[in-house]
Amino acid sequence: MTPSDSDMRAQLVTAAIAHVPFDGWSHETLSLAAAECGLADTQWHHYFPKGIDEVVELYSARADDEMVSAYHALDQVPVPVHLKIRTLILLRLHQACGHSETVRRSLGFLAQPQHAALATKMLYRTVDAIWRAAGDTTTDYNFYTKRATLAAVYSATMLAFLADDTDDLVKTEAFLDRRLKDVSRIPKMAKPAQVFATGLASVVSRATSIMERRPFRR
Amino acid sequence: MTQSHKHATPSAATPPTARTPADLDRFLRVNHAGERAAQTIYKGQLAILKNHEQAAEIQHMMEQEQEHLDTFDALLNDYKVRPSLFDPVWGVAGFILGATTAAMGPKAAMACTIAVEEVIGEHYAAQVDHLKAQNREPELTKTLERFRDEELEHRDIAIEHDGQEATGYPLLRSIIQTGCRAAIKIAEKL
Repeated sequence: MTPSDSDMRAQLVTAAIAHVPFDGWSHETLSLAAAECGLADTQWHHYFPKGIDEVVELYSARADDEMVSAYHALDQVPVPVHLKIRTLILLRLHQACGHSETVRRSLGFLAQPQHAALATKMLYRTVDAIWRAAGDTTTDYNFYTKRATLAAVYSATMLAFLADDTDDLVKTEAFLDRRLKDVSRIPKMAKPAQVFATGLASVVSRATSIMERRPFRR
Repeated sequence: MTQSHKHATPSAATPPTARTPADLDRFLRVNHAGERAAQTIYKGQLAILKNHEQAAEIQHMMEQEQEHLDTFDALLNDYKVRPSLFDPVWGVAGFILGATTAAMGPKAAMACTIAVEEVIGEHYAAQVDHLKAQNREPELTKTLERFRDEELEHRDIAIEHDGQEATGYPLLRSIIQTGCRAAIKIAEKL
C-alpha cells in the first residue's frame, strides 16, 4: 500500500463516520463517503478490498491509536496499573463522546453473528493496546487472563457509556470504577489455586528426590 | 532480563498499535514457546540427574536456554507479539520429556537432547534463510543465527556424551522429533 493509499483510507473512514449515525455501516454510507473524497461511488472498494469489515476495523484501530497517543502525551500518568487502565479507557471513551451514535451503530454492526470474528479481533486489539500502553510485559498465560479480564470490563463499560446521559461521563466513570474494584478482588480469589500449585510442586520435588536414590548414579 | 535488546522497533512514524508482519509474529511466538520447552526439558533432566557427572553440562545448556527465553520474552514485547496460548503446556511437556528420558538413563537424556536440538537448529536455520533471502531484520537475524549455533552445539555435546548409543535411539529420536515438529506447527498458530 502506498502512503497516498493509506491517506485515502483514513479520509474515507473520517467521511464515513459522519454518515454512520444515519445509514449504519452500509454501502450507502461508503458511497457517500467516497463521493465526499472525490471518488466514484464504488471506488472505495479499491481501498478496502475486503469490504465494509475492513473499514470498521480501521475505524477501531484508529481509535486505539488515538487513545495510546493521547495517553503517552499526558504529563503525568498514575502509578498503580489499574489506574493506568482506567485512564486509558476513559481517554478512549471521551474521544468517542462526540459520535456516540456511530459507536452505537458500530456495536449493532458487530453484534451480528457474521461479524463475531471481527468483533472479537477488534476487542482483542483494543484491550491489547491498553495493556501494552499501561506497560504490561507478561509473556506467560497471564497475558491471556489479563486481556480476558479487561475485555469483560471494557465491553461492559462501553454499554454503560452508551446509556450514559450525563455531561462528562460521570455515570460511566462510576460504573468503570466499580468494575475495576471487582477485578482487584481476583488476586484474592486466586489464592486457593496458588496453594494447590505450591502443594503440587512439593509433591513433584519429593517424587524426584525418591527417584534419584535409584540407579543412574555411577 | 539479562541484557538489553536493541532490536528494531516500529519507528515513530508508524501508529502505536501497528501490526507486526505475520511471518515475524509466527516466528517469535513459536521461538518463545520452543525456548520455554527447551529450558524445562533441561530442568526436567536436572531434576533426575542432579548428582550425576553430566549435571554440569546440562546446567550449562539450561542456562543458555534461559538466556534465549529471556531474549524472546523481550522480543515478544518489542514486536508486540502474543505468546502461545499453550505456554504453560509447553513448559509442562518439556519438563515431562526431560524427566522421562533422564529416568531412562543418562544416555537416553542425551539422545533426547540430540533429537530436540536437531529440530530446533533446523527450525532456526529456516527462519534465518527466510529473513536473509528478503534482506530484513538484520539484528533479529543475527540473534537467530547465534541461537542456531548454540542449539547445534548442544546437539554436539550430547553426541559426545554417547546420546546415540542409547537403547532404541532411532525410535526414541523419531518419536521426539515428530512431537517437536507437531508442537512447532501448533505454537506457530496458537
